[in-house]
Amino acid sequence: MTKEIKFESPSFVQRIKSMLGVDLYRLFHTPLFYIFLAIAAIIPAMVSAMTMMPDQNGQTMEPLYSNAWQIMAASEPLYVIRTIADYANMNMVFIFGGIMVSIFIGHDYKSGYVKQLFTTHAKKQDYMISKSLTCALAMACMCITYLLGGVAGGFFAGYDWSVNVGSLILALLGKIIMSVGWASLFTFLNIIFRRYFGISVASSFFFGTGILIIGAAAIIEALGLPTYVLNLFLYGSSVNACLASNIGTLVVCILVSFAWAFIYNLAGTHILNKSDVY
Amino acid sequence: MNAIEIKDLSKSFRGMYAVDHLTMTVPQGAIYGFIGENGSGKSTTEKLICGHLVPDGGEIKLFGRDYTDPGVRVRVGALIENAGCFPGSSVYQNLMMQCINLGIQNADEEILRVLRIVRMEEHASLKFKSCSLGMKQRIGIAMALLGSPALLILDEPINGLDTDGMRMMREILVDITKTYGCTVLISSHLLGELEKIATHYGIIRQGKMIVEMSAEEMDARAQVFTSLKTAQMQKALALLSQKYADVREEDGYIRIYDVDNVEEIVSFLMENGQVVSEIKKNKIGLEEYYIELMSKQGGKHK
Repeated sequence: MTKEIKFESPSFVQRIKSMLGVDLYRLFHTPLFYIFLAIAAIIPAMVSAMTMMPDQNGQTMEPLYSNAWQIMAASEPLYVIRTIADYANMNMVFIFGGIMVSIFIGHDYKSGYVKQLFTTHAKKQDYMISKSLTCALAMACMCITYLLGGVAGGFFAGYDWSVNVGSLILALLGKIIMSVGWASLFTFLNIIFRRYFGISVASSFFFGTGILIIGAAAIIEALGLPTYVLNLFLYGSSVNACLASNIGTLVVCILVSFAWAFIYNLAGTHILNKSDVY
Repeated sequence: MNAIEIKDLSKSFRGMYAVDHLTMTVPQGAIYGFIGENGSGKSTTEKLICGHLVPDGGEIKLFGRDYTDPGVRVRVGALIENAGCFPGSSVYQNLMMQCINLGIQNADEEILRVLRIVRMEEHASLKFKSCSLGMKQRIGIAMALLGSPALLILDEPINGLDTDGMRMMREILVDITKTYGCTVLISSHLLGELEKIATHYGIIRQGKMIVEMSAEEMDARAQVFTSLKTAQMQKALALLSQKYADVREEDGYIRIYDVDNVEEIVSFLMENGQVVSEIKKNKIGLEEYYIELMSKQGGKHK
């Protein structure tokens, strides 16, 4: 005689909770996360320290920044890059973050763990949401270590520290909030290229640099059109979160980040639902 | 109730059917031996049931519910191709992640329970990448056993196991079906091993189900035959072919199918001047039955 088996459907919240639990457990138990936290801290410290080193003629180089907080965010929204200082700020976290997300998700497929997830109750939508949130948290943590590294570098380089504290906080918050949108983009890219680990990493790096928006900004500027339309994109909004930020900047960051996160999660879920896991 | 009910299931890759309008029924509580040649569609079917592949068409029901229902999926355990563990994480960490995924409350106890079953409790702290092939297979089974699944899907689980491991696997499967009422779908090339535990069989070829039967039906279908050797094999073969319907020369023996009356055969040959040097009664096992069936189907087992 067969035994009666009871089946209870876990709710959406229960499923997300367990999936997030797995991802967070894995994130905090993998050296990868801590390596990238360290990278995020070392890069700003290195960039600012390097600018104070003497060149080959023994002359001290022209300081890269005029103010220590420019290591975190540019003084104004600089969509078009003219010097490395216009580019080298907290937005770089999204490049390293992209690579980290690629490795993190890539291991799911490489190890075959994704099979264990999808054999059980996990839905493709749960996977997308959980990965996006976990990777956003990882990138937000990287933003914080970047801040710490940047402050250390600023002290070492002896930069000026004067700043509008309110704008600085809004800019930092804006960039941290942008992590949600960026993490969703990288998760989406890694879903598309899940069978090709190398391409996943390369695509995350490519989009993380924001090169498409930088190129578009140059064209828009040359045409004399307003560059603020670029704030509709992740890189644009990340650049917009600068030392001249106001509450409007933060609102734009929230709207853009969450809107793109929604779009990428929807698209990623659709692709996963319609295609084989591997 | 049936644990698995598949109707008209299809899956193609680049226009070639890997699973071709397959119909399959696995009764609840059964150990279902899923048999077929390489590339016959066994693994593809299992991956479809596990939700790893998207079917082109057809219907899969698990315990009477749609196979995508999270309520039923949470009670499915699987070992498909490999254990699906992170190589850099320890055995314990890998199992812990699956416990969290399944929402198991007493995770530590559950991990210890499944590790004891597969006799790996002393290796919990070992990194997965440091484990041997056999150990990895055991961990894969432990992973699939977490949360006492109602349905266990195992793709070639005996691969890489030593004799002790194979015996352990048999004991586990028989135990979980008896104790927990778990249903097991198991594919394996080791038909001799499968024969010891399976309660039902399904034989698949080119993505189509050829035959499904219970172990009792298999027993009833199993042909008996007598094999013998004489000094003049060709002459004896000709004589026996005149008297019996199905006489063949195979593996250096004359085989008379569906006849097990040794005395009758010996006296017939002696009357015709043939001396029998060796004679024995046989029964076709799963392996022979499978080979025979494949030959009839035009497979490579001719």
